[in-house]
Amino acid sequence: MMAGAEKFVEADNAEAIITRIEHKSRKIESLLKQNKPVEALKTALEGSPPMTRDERCKSANWIVVHRALMAIKDVEGMFSSLDPEYYDILMKYLYRGLSTGDRPTCDQCLRIHEKLTERAGLGCILRSLADTVNTV
Amino acid sequence: MANTLRLYLTCIRNTLEAAMCLQNFPCQEVERHNKPEVELKTSPELLLNPVLICRNEAEKCLIETSINSLRISLKVKQADELENILTKKFLRFLSMRAEAFQVLRRKPVQGYDISFLITNYHCEEMQKQKLIDFIVQFMEDIDKEISELKMSVNTRGRLVATEFLKQFI
Repeated sequence: MMAGAEKFVEADNAEAIITRIEHKSRKIESLLKQNKPVEALKTALEGSPPMTRDERCKSANWIVVHRALMAIKDVEGMFSSLDPEYYDILMKYLYRGLSTGDRPTCDQCLRIHEKLTERAGLGCILRSLADTVNTV
Repeated sequence: MANTLRLYLTCIRNTLEAAMCLQNFPCQEVERHNKPEVELKTSPELLLNPVLICRNEAEKCLIETSINSLRISLKVKQADELENILTKKFLRFLSMRAEAFQVLRRKPVQGYDISFLITNYHCEEMQKQKLIDFIVQFMEDIDKEISELKMSVNTRGRLVATEFLKQFI
């Protein structure tokens, strides 16, 4: 689905992506109200536009993922219901969260990082370091 | 509080274990030269994404990797002016003796207190696990050292002041 918008994302395509992100953010708010933080995180992570060069899209998506991440209380439970295909993209967002320097964000990200490394292994970390093309 | 320290050090340890995959790579631009690519940053294809791990607003750790070298820069927690001065002096003392440490960088990266530069040669001579243990142990010990130094400064100040003021009693 995202393969079509691969090489070059023009300005108008960026607008389309931002509207999609806003739509996603509303869906996530409703999921969080229904007390389903893991579902909210999955929605935030899938359809991440890693192929965009546009900083605004990346920031907009980060805000959405951040909201879902901070709502997670039970980290172990989250991993039991999260599919492995999301591990790599989650690791990239965790590093983005750790670079913010904001105390509650960093606490939460450090907690999830430890558990994610146990689950996914060092390969996951290395993929997030080595992927210079699809950054978040 | 101690828990975040443990998580912070675990995160750094895991990231270092993944990032410390160094191999020999002679310079592409100049014949017969072998330079740590992370310092020069001339070829983007040789560099990995730099990673910034913050524990809070004051403490952070920047890990930059390349094909043959890895640079770790630390910013240590400094609560007040006194700790600021003590940290600066103490880490300057260590950086001056970087030869003895081998993996220490003589000048810290801009914005940080101390930096390490680990090259593939270090990984060949020394064990990767031991290098990582050294870095993490260093981070733990720095905090202890600085608080000890601060306490001894305060104690000495108090003693000196008491002795001096005794003559006025």
